[in-house]
Amino acid sequence: MESSVYKFLPVFMVLFPICMSVVIFWVSRYSERLRNGLSVATTVVTFIAVAALYPPMAAGKVIAYTIFDILPGLGLSVRADILSFCLALISALVWMLVSIYSIDYMSHEHGTDRYYPIFIFVLGSCLGIFMAGDFFTLFVFFELMSLLSYVLVIHEETKEALRAGYKYLIMTIIGGLALFFAIVIVFELAGSVSLSEGTLVAVPSTMALLAFINFLIGFGMKAGMFPLHVWLPDAHPVAPSPASALLSGIMLKTGAYGLLRVIFTVFNIPLIQEARWDIIVLVLAVITILLGSAVALTQEDLKRRLAYSSVGQMGYVILGMVLFTERALIGDIFHIFSHALMKSTLFLAAGAIIWKTGLRNINDLHGIGRKMPLTMGAFTLAALAMIGIPPLNGFLSKLNLGMGALEAGAPVYLFVLLVSSLLNGLYYLPIIIAAFFGEAHGEDDHETETFKMSEATRGMVIPLCLLALSCLVFGLMPGNIFFELSRKAAAFLFLQGMP
Amino acid sequence: MFQQLPVILLIILLGAAFIVPLLGRKREWLAFILTAAVLFALFLGAIVLLFVVRYHGPFTYQLGNWPPPWGIELLVDYLAVYVLMILGTIAFLVMAYGARDLQHEIGTNVRHWYYSLYLLLLFAMSGMALTNDLFNLFVFMEISAIASCGIISIKEERRCAEAALKYLILSTLGSGCFLLAVAMLYMVTGNLNLQYVAGGLPAALSLYPYNILIALSLIIVGLGVKAALFPLHVWLPDAHSAAPTPSSAVLSALVIKIYAVAMVKIFAVFPAELFAVVPVLEIVLILSALAAVAGSVFAMLQDDIKKMLACSSIAQIGFVFMGIGFFEGQALIGGLLHIFNHAVIKAMLFLAAGLIIYATGIRRISEFRGLGMRLPLTMSAFVVGALAMVGIPGTSGFVSKWYLALGALESGKPFYIVVILLSSLLNGVYYFPIVITAFFGSEPQPSTERRDLPLSMLVPVLLLAAATIFFGFYPRPLVELLQQVLASQGLR
Repeated sequence: MESSVYKFLPVFMVLFPICMSVVIFWVSRYSERLRNGLSVATTVVTFIAVAALYPPMAAGKVIAYTIFDILPGLGLSVRADILSFCLALISALVWMLVSIYSIDYMSHEHGTDRYYPIFIFVLGSCLGIFMAGDFFTLFVFFELMSLLSYVLVIHEETKEALRAGYKYLIMTIIGGLALFFAIVIVFELAGSVSLSEGTLVAVPSTMALLAFINFLIGFGMKAGMFPLHVWLPDAHPVAPSPASALLSGIMLKTGAYGLLRVIFTVFNIPLIQEARWDIIVLVLAVITILLGSAVALTQEDLKRRLAYSSVGQMGYVILGMVLFTERALIGDIFHIFSHALMKSTLFLAAGAIIWKTGLRNINDLHGIGRKMPLTMGAFTLAALAMIGIPPLNGFLSKLNLGMGALEAGAPVYLFVLLVSSLLNGLYYLPIIIAAFFGEAHGEDDHETETFKMSEATRGMVIPLCLLALSCLVFGLMPGNIFFELSRKAAAFLFLQGMP
Repeated sequence: MFQQLPVILLIILLGAAFIVPLLGRKREWLAFILTAAVLFALFLGAIVLLFVVRYHGPFTYQLGNWPPPWGIELLVDYLAVYVLMILGTIAFLVMAYGARDLQHEIGTNVRHWYYSLYLLLLFAMSGMALTNDLFNLFVFMEISAIASCGIISIKEERRCAEAALKYLILSTLGSGCFLLAVAMLYMVTGNLNLQYVAGGLPAALSLYPYNILIALSLIIVGLGVKAALFPLHVWLPDAHSAAPTPSSAVLSALVIKIYAVAMVKIFAVFPAELFAVVPVLEIVLILSALAAVAGSVFAMLQDDIKKMLACSSIAQIGFVFMGIGFFEGQALIGGLLHIFNHAVIKAMLFLAAGLIIYATGIRRISEFRGLGMRLPLTMSAFVVGALAMVGIPGTSGFVSKWYLALGALESGKPFYIVVILLSSLLNGVYYFPIVITAFFGSEPQPSTERRDLPLSMLVPVLLLAAATIFFGFYPRPLVELLQQVLASQGLR
């Protein structure tokens, strides 16, 4: 009885938001309040559905079955294991908080009637990616999510947004086609694209390499890997801030998830190490880390700086998965959690500032911390986590990644991590210092001295602060559930990757 | 009893084509009802034949009871049934749409003639699908060419006449080539019946290799012109865009494909050793690859929506020919499957474009701003079409590309996957901006769709859009049918 409920849950958490998005679209004609309420309720229910999967997942069970075959050997199937649970959990959590934040943030925006249904639908397709039991299902949801989030990217419909959106769309198509190519090759080589059959391709060959490279293009594009990151710094800042938070916080991770599956399920560790394919990924990851952090330094626009910072942070995630030590993998998966929390905090904080003051340029933010202490406090906490200050969660992930690099006998990557952390400090700290201690422009000194709060609404500040606190709670605190999950997921993947 | 069905279908189509103009002089609605009923009968007949073939296997019908070497034979096999089903479905839906569309596109005095020509075209295409005789095939080709010209030039505009003339000249050239080829094959084998030709060819190959080679090349050119295979496509963009919308839909969705089917039928006749020695299939492959890319590039340059769709057909027929060029296994399934998928998608896109023109009079893509709000359902169908053209999984376009790609890998030619992907990317580059312009970047406008568009036009478009998604998730019956096509043609 109980197990059948668990069996049903992965399907439910995907289909429920998708069905609700239709309801929300229909409701939005009649009542705005009902629409907003339903949107939040949907994300809450979805989160509960995901969280309810915790007992079997933590016990190391795998739920896998086929729903129906589209073509022989190619069908829609479900697979929930500890790794997919990790990603689904963080996605549903952040989505829930962002949906609460959205209500106030979007209240003055146009086109909210299409924003909410798409917002909810993308949640469903995002969970669909994680719950997919084979690469075809994964591909279907991946494309759904990518194409629909276009609507979120260009929400403001300015010329700039449309241009960025077009770039995003073309890159998405290219990525999708590369995935198509890769999946076809794997299907031809292995006769299956299922995630539940162990290693699919165990022999290196030219075709296998071609598949690997195409997977790397397809998922790496989504994850913002150099040199396919070009859409990211344009697309993320132009979206409305809650959408940016999800784009940067969650949707980049679908690319990372895909790559994890490719490396540990389609291929395996010995194959990739023997064929030296990890070199390709390592080099690209290092470039991504350094380039993302360095370019972020030069950005004046707050959200653009955050977007470039995402590029750098995704570099960590990509780096961690090819170091091939369990410790690095723990850090890698934990960094997916941490970065989701940190970056959505940062984007939501930036959104609160933009919403309240309309300021986007970093040079205009002097003294903002005195007006909006809670928002900037959250920003500070997340930024410090980003730099890797203990006891925040960013420290824990970097610690594990760094130790993993040492275990793998490649201290050079530890060095890269440190350089990147330094750069992170260089571009985050000035914002914080200026915000709290800087002189505001255009106002005389007496007024800035007074401590006058003018925060964004409570509906925005509360989710923001919750997210910021989670950076602390899921850091070095005892009983860190996310870290436990990462440990289990890493062990699980590592076993799977070794035939 | 079902033995007679194929010929009955042909007779009904031909007979109705003659009765309709007589009826239509006084009562136009009666002519329309008859046309629609006959097309529906074609659809039903195809389904019945499908079951007959499935349970009793393929069968032949001898016209006038004359045995094969002399008489004409109709062969009802899986391929013929598959094609008949496509013809029946699409033709019926397009005609249902045409009832209202034609009222504003062509004059009252010629409308019943339009129905007649339409039926004649369907008669010719069904005949081509069924016949097992080379000369008979040629006759049907001619009927189809004349009827096509008719439904293009029926719109009394200068550019329609020009386009029809261009089509007529090139198509006649193609027919000429084909007739010569038929003559040469007759010369060396002494037979016109495809099965007898197949029997005679291996022996003739050693005696008259050049005749057979020339016949083969003439067939490729002849059918290539009619199917608009690059670089013989020059007539297509004008003809398909100038014609009234139902004609465009039928021409792009069905007429050009039927020649590809004819090519499959004829290629199956030639001995496999011939293809091993002479790179005929290689040539078809190269042409198809060029078509897939060049057609998309042409389409990118167009601003007229119908012209763009027509150019896109050049690229898509390239995919069909790519399957034929591999002529084995999964790739051929992919190519044949694309005949159906593209028929559905392109008919839907043409009809949607027709709806836009009907409701707003806008033909230029650059003026599409805000159309998504005014015609939400039409533009949503257009979105589905665009996604299918790019080959997004979950749409039928994905499935045919999947099989083509698998086939390309099987044959050890992954280069052609790159061609498929490049063409898909280009599709995205010109289809998505249309959708974007229509939906985003403009002031919201109230939907006027219900007022401006009659249901009889909207429903076929939505049905075709639904089919695009349905066969994206459930292509199994089609694929299984095509596997039987391959098996019965003696191909791998």
